[in-house]
Amino acid sequence: MSWDVVARKEFRDALRSKGLWVLSLVFTAFFVIPAGAALWWDVGIRGGQEVGLQLLIEYIYLNIVTLFLPLVAIFAGYAAISKERTSGSLKLLLSLPHSRKDVIIGKVVGRCGVVGVPLAGAFIVNALFLIASRLTFKPGLYVTFALFSMVFALVIVAVAVSISGAVENSLYSIIGNMTFFVSITFFWNLWANSIGDGLGEYLGVTGAANWTTVLFLKLLNPSQAYKTIMNSMLGDGSNAERLARYRMFSGGNNSEQATICSDVLAGNATEVPGFMGNRTVCQESAQSVPLYFSDGAALFYLLLWIGLAAAVSYYTFNQYDL
Amino acid sequence: MAAIELDGVRKQFGGVTALEGVDLTVEEGEIYGFLGPNGAGKSTTINVLLDFVRPTNGTARVLGHDVREESTAIRERTGVLPEGYDVYDRLTGREHLEFVIDSKDAYVDPAELLDRVGLDPEDAQRKAGGYSKGMAQRLVLAMALVGEPDLLILDEPSSGLDPNGARMMREIVREENERGATVFFSSHILGQVESVCDRVGIIQDGQVIAEDSIENLQEATDVETTLTVSVDQRTDAVVSAVRDVSGVTAVDETGSELVVTCSDDIKMDVLNAIEEAGGEVEDFDTHEPSLEELFAAYTDGTDQPQSRAATAGAEGDA
Repeated sequence: MSWDVVARKEFRDALRSKGLWVLSLVFTAFFVIPAGAALWWDVGIRGGQEVGLQLLIEYIYLNIVTLFLPLVAIFAGYAAISKERTSGSLKLLLSLPHSRKDVIIGKVVGRCGVVGVPLAGAFIVNALFLIASRLTFKPGLYVTFALFSMVFALVIVAVAVSISGAVENSLYSIIGNMTFFVSITFFWNLWANSIGDGLGEYLGVTGAANWTTVLFLKLLNPSQAYKTIMNSMLGDGSNAERLARYRMFSGGNNSEQATICSDVLAGNATEVPGFMGNRTVCQESAQSVPLYFSDGAALFYLLLWIGLAAAVSYYTFNQYDL
Repeated sequence: MAAIELDGVRKQFGGVTALEGVDLTVEEGEIYGFLGPNGAGKSTTINVLLDFVRPTNGTARVLGHDVREESTAIRERTGVLPEGYDVYDRLTGREHLEFVIDSKDAYVDPAELLDRVGLDPEDAQRKAGGYSKGMAQRLVLAMALVGEPDLLILDEPSSGLDPNGARMMREIVREENERGATVFFSSHILGQVESVCDRVGIIQDGQVIAEDSIENLQEATDVETTLTVSVDQRTDAVVSAVRDVSGVTAVDETGSELVVTCSDDIKMDVLNAIEEAGGEVEDFDTHEPSLEELFAAYTDGTDQPQSRAATAGAEGDA
């Protein structure tokens, strides 16, 4: 067990990269701007009424986190192993009594520290702005948001470092990482829905089974898993978890929505008159959300990426000749 | 127990065969020179020892451990100066050493090691990204020395070093050997190997063509020494006088010059014989044997290149 030595070296080394500090500053700025706006221009106060920290997080911060945090994480991790491989410093590292597994684990942990420390700093600075603003600062909510955002960032770092270990050079690593980023950020739902359509069309899997598959596929996306967990945390009451999952679908007709609510999420679907005709709302029922769609399961799927990425990376990295 | 044991190691990269069944044994406590031209397979062999590359066939054991199964156990007791490495640009020299010390659970003063390889304390505080090739080489040598390893594996250790640095390298190799370490180092320069090694292995085109003691190697190289002499009167008497000198294996006449192939230590005898036979030496030039000629000495006239017992005399006559 020597990954901790590798991790410490990695932390020391990567923390001195200027590019990373610039990105951290940019990221802090992204966080602080909405908080600063709330402080100076009373954004978040509409007609004397406070829209609240919840809405600020839900509509602004969640998008910032899912869009920009992965980019910082990828920047911090994509070259972790591939650069050492190209330059030859990997030969120095592997001349020492570190196994290749230790190198992967140490690199992942070290780079997580490199992202985690400045990120924690950004959250703390941001908290000061929020406390100073006219919004009511809810420490529990904010800490939850900060912690889950860190977990999300660390998952992306782990994936980035793993891709770096699995490919031949940093160019392939950045291509692989950006493909991953674009997939989870823009294309995942499209694919999940296409698979759902295909199942219905060619295999006759329709109704609840089809929607269950689609929701499961959606939850496998680390970005969406993070978002839906946060939505559940931000919501009020015991139905928040179900509503967070329910929100992952949009644009279906009322009968589809009803199937999703009652047959997939074990909820109570009710049609209520809405702005443009009736709409289906998903209410509480005697049953809870199925375990595999719970917040805990979503967190599990999110964390699964670390293990999956590291395993694939270890397998590839362990095979190749330096 | 042998410190290094390679048995029929083959390595193929795609369609290219880098090693074609390398057999090699390094005994504990010896300084072993691994000699061969660039591209012969020296680094690939070393990379197999460190599990950097995995052999296609054959087995390799280092310090009694299998290189594939127990590589970390090997690297715990081995100091390595690899070829084609790069230092960590953003870490200082001292931090490099501290990383190695942590990795090997060793207790040494980095300052002591830095002093030993001739790196200034000020340089040690600087980031290694600004080091010259020679400074980086010294730093990595210091890293290899951490924790008094049982085995030192040095791949082209003198590359990038000035003559002073090369001398320091030789001294350290001797000191480490006296301490009890086995030293395995590769080089493509005959002189470096000659000056420190107990034994040599010669590799060419992915095959070890000879393993020999340094004395035998020196005899082989002596045979190959060529003496070119300009004589004012190239008479038959002069030529036959030279032929009669014991140790001369061939005399060629080209223009006004005599090209004499002889052992290194009888050069003066040859020149004296010419003078005694009435010739006047106007100029002479000795040609030190190149590595290629050394290979020729070991391979010429034998269909089986792996003639381990090849002696200099036999090869010279062939």
